[in-house]
Amino acid sequence: MLGNLIQQTVNALTIGSIYALIALGYTMVYGVLRMINFAHGEMFMLGAYVAFLALSLLVGDVGMSGALALTVAFLVAIFLVGLIGVGIERVAYKPLRSSTRLAPMLSSLGVSLSLVTGVQILAGPQPVAFPSFFPVVRYQVMGGTITLMQIGILIAAFVLMFGLHVLVNRSRIGIIVRAVSESRPTAQLLGINVNGAISMVFFVGPLLGAAGGILYSSYYGIMSPSMGAVIGLKAFTAAILGGIGSIPGAMLGAFILAFIEVWGTALLPIVTNGVLGTEYRDVLAFAILILVLLVRPAGILGEAVSEESIVYKREF
Amino acid sequence: MTLVFQSLRKVYGEVVAIDGVSTDFAPGMIHGVIGPNGAGKSTLINMTAGSYTVSSGSITLDGKRLDKLKKYQIANSGIARTYQNIRLFDQMSAIENLEVCFYPAEVAAAWREVIWPPYANAQRRRRREKCMEILRFFDLQGYADVDAGGLPYGRQRMLEIARALVANPRVLLLDEPAAGLNHHETAELTAKLTALRSPDRIMIVVEHDMDLVMTLCDSIIVMHHGKLLFRGTPSEVQASTDVQLAYLGTANDIDDIRAAAQDRRAQLGIRARRRS
Amino acid sequence: MAAADTLAAARPPANRTISWLVFAIAIALIVATPFLPNYHVRVLNSLLIYILLGIGLNIVIGYTGLLDLGFVAFYAVGAYSYGLLASPQLGLHMPFLLILLVAACLGAVTGILLGIPVLRLRGDYLAIVTLGFGEIIRIIINNLDWLTGGPQGIARLDKASILGIQIARPIDFFWLLLITVLIVGTVVWRLERSILGKAWAAIREDQDAARGIGINTTNAKLAAFATSATIGSIAGAIFAASQRFVSPESFTLQESVLIVLMIVVGGIGNIFGIVAGAAILILLPELLREFAEWRILFLGLLMISLIIARPAGIVPRSFGPEKLIRGLFGK
Repeated sequence: MLGNLIQQTVNALTIGSIYALIALGYTMVYGVLRMINFAHGEMFMLGAYVAFLALSLLVGDVGMSGALALTVAFLVAIFLVGLIGVGIERVAYKPLRSSTRLAPMLSSLGVSLSLVTGVQILAGPQPVAFPSFFPVVRYQVMGGTITLMQIGILIAAFVLMFGLHVLVNRSRIGIIVRAVSESRPTAQLLGINVNGAISMVFFVGPLLGAAGGILYSSYYGIMSPSMGAVIGLKAFTAAILGGIGSIPGAMLGAFILAFIEVWGTALLPIVTNGVLGTEYRDVLAFAILILVLLVRPAGILGEAVSEESIVYKREF
Repeated sequence: MTLVFQSLRKVYGEVVAIDGVSTDFAPGMIHGVIGPNGAGKSTLINMTAGSYTVSSGSITLDGKRLDKLKKYQIANSGIARTYQNIRLFDQMSAIENLEVCFYPAEVAAAWREVIWPPYANAQRRRRREKCMEILRFFDLQGYADVDAGGLPYGRQRMLEIARALVANPRVLLLDEPAAGLNHHETAELTAKLTALRSPDRIMIVVEHDMDLVMTLCDSIIVMHHGKLLFRGTPSEVQASTDVQLAYLGTANDIDDIRAAAQDRRAQLGIRARRRS
Repeated sequence: MAAADTLAAARPPANRTISWLVFAIAIALIVATPFLPNYHVRVLNSLLIYILLGIGLNIVIGYTGLLDLGFVAFYAVGAYSYGLLASPQLGLHMPFLLILLVAACLGAVTGILLGIPVLRLRGDYLAIVTLGFGEIIRIIINNLDWLTGGPQGIARLDKASILGIQIARPIDFFWLLLITVLIVGTVVWRLERSILGKAWAAIREDQDAARGIGINTTNAKLAAFATSATIGSIAGAIFAASQRFVSPESFTLQESVLIVLMIVVGGIGNIFGIVAGAAILILLPELLREFAEWRILFLGLLMISLIIARPAGIVPRSFGPEKLIRGLFGK
């Protein structure tokens, strides 16, 4: 029982840290542009595919070996996806900044559709086996099994999140990003480089999302062009759960969601006497989303955004 | 029977925006609300119209409690407003902006409009005529079928007042109606507003343009730091030394402002950390 | 913009040529359909179903300005209504018209049940919650094997018949769908012009100001949601009857996005725009069959470029049914 407890907790932490990496991108974009980026899930998917490509090039053509190739592939992939993110913002969202609030979201739906089918055309629609980034090592902790991969994922995710924390709170660019998310018009009036801040967010968000995608694919050993949709939706749920626009909120929300999911999935068949099985895991996540929005629309760490504090001219 | 505020308060966190305002507004008059920036004038309007919630105290119209109602219910209780930043339905024509105001009265019969074309046509014609009349009053008849968002700024201000009048409200709240208008347009506005005065109607105008307020209003309340500082006729207000002090400030105020700024910085510090 | 320009733009002269051209093409197409091979009639039927779906979703997105990404759920409700009430699955064999009525009611009820909690939310969240709702319905259908047949779906659905007339051939469904589209289109168009339609537009433009003039925005949005869901559900029931087979595959997220795309491409808020959007989205892929994989990529890119270059869609907003009638009869 204790072993099971520990194992499930580690499972939840692993999944939670991956959700967190993706949720951060949603929350940061929402923070600066007040826009839901429906194409963000695709950054997650692209991360896995680009890493796979880089890895096969490095090992096959360059002849690089093992651990080094994996590390280089990981870094190259997340950096490239970051650049792709910046490019997409320039082309598909920037021209719509003064448009209705609906327009950039619709545009991001178009981007999402294009990316999924683009990858389908290039790499085929079927799922592809993804190499493990960590050797298969199992540890027995009080009767539970923990793999080296889980530890690796946790460490990688925490390093990235700590990096983001430092970037946002201790660097100049971080202050600029925070200023822009507080109030874009005011930041603009103060001569802050708003475009720079937005580009920064569209670099860092996809970068973290791509990292999440690589870790996720590595964890489950599989990737597919359509894998971004559901994970993206869950990460968005996590972002709302924690309070959209809030960076610590996104992390907290991700872990809470992962815990509810893992434990809920484990308990659901027991509680309902087998009527509702593990396949209802995704339903659980969305049910939580709807519940949170009803009870506390601002999320756990979000500021209460009422009509009074932000009155948008066009709340679409 | 009037619009009555009873020890009205509005609190944002630590900040008290409205601090125990009790007053009443009689029908048949135009009431001005003036005061320095941040005195709580707009907050007062927004609470009356239901855009902001009331922290404590009460607002009653003809004995009916308004402050617990939802915004649309308040509107349907006979309160209409305009906004400091014009808020028209931009992609609807000027006349549609007015016609939509018949919704509360006529939505119950909307299904008849769908299934019975002659009824729909009659309804549309009737609505259009009524709204045309109001547009004519504001000299907007030439713009009836132009999208509201495409109107010149001054016309938009007028159209917003026209929209507020469609439901023939008991209370008309005007939040800085002259903001951004040129001299000529302000004169036009003054004429229209004066003509709108009627024995049943309570008109409340928040305005910075002192000339407008002094010529238009029958009674003026002066707000200062969220409190009701003074109430009287335009000439009484002009003569009051309290009011002059509130606007021009005293030596003590400099210290107050410094303290307030420091306070604000401290708050922002906390907020920034929490947000990150 | 000068006042004179806007005045001219607001009341352009009724364009006779275009109106007659549109009218003539529509009539020619309808008259020619019975002589087309079955395959082509099926394509037209699918076009009409998408037009129906587009008209339904447009009420929420185009008129009321709410982004609903779970529309396909209502489509599924209708389709499974027919699947369950007219098949050996539960041993029920109800008449088609009765099922249509049941589907419409179920659609409206589902719409209201989803709408009540969701429509209080801020605009942005609505998109994501409806998206989640669409997925929930799909997952439930996928896993409720004893009722819905799970991923295999329900096969051998009854042949539909209305008052003794059997509706089985593609051309029968063409007439049925055409009549449905005309009726639904007219009702929705009249709704848009009614006081309720004006309120929807006001909510789209500025929800808070709409409350300020006494509109109970929650109720008005609920009405939009329920009407839209009803239409989606009716489309689903007819779809199931024409396929005589339902499975969860037809109700994916991509389908919802496709319908949104259709509305955006054609022209948000315009019934004729939907027809044009559906024609592009359904007929174009048929013409480009060899490039099957590329068409969705193409559609995605088209969506982005249209939103940026021509946010109003390809059919101008001013060209609606009213304009057509005015053009035809010179009123």
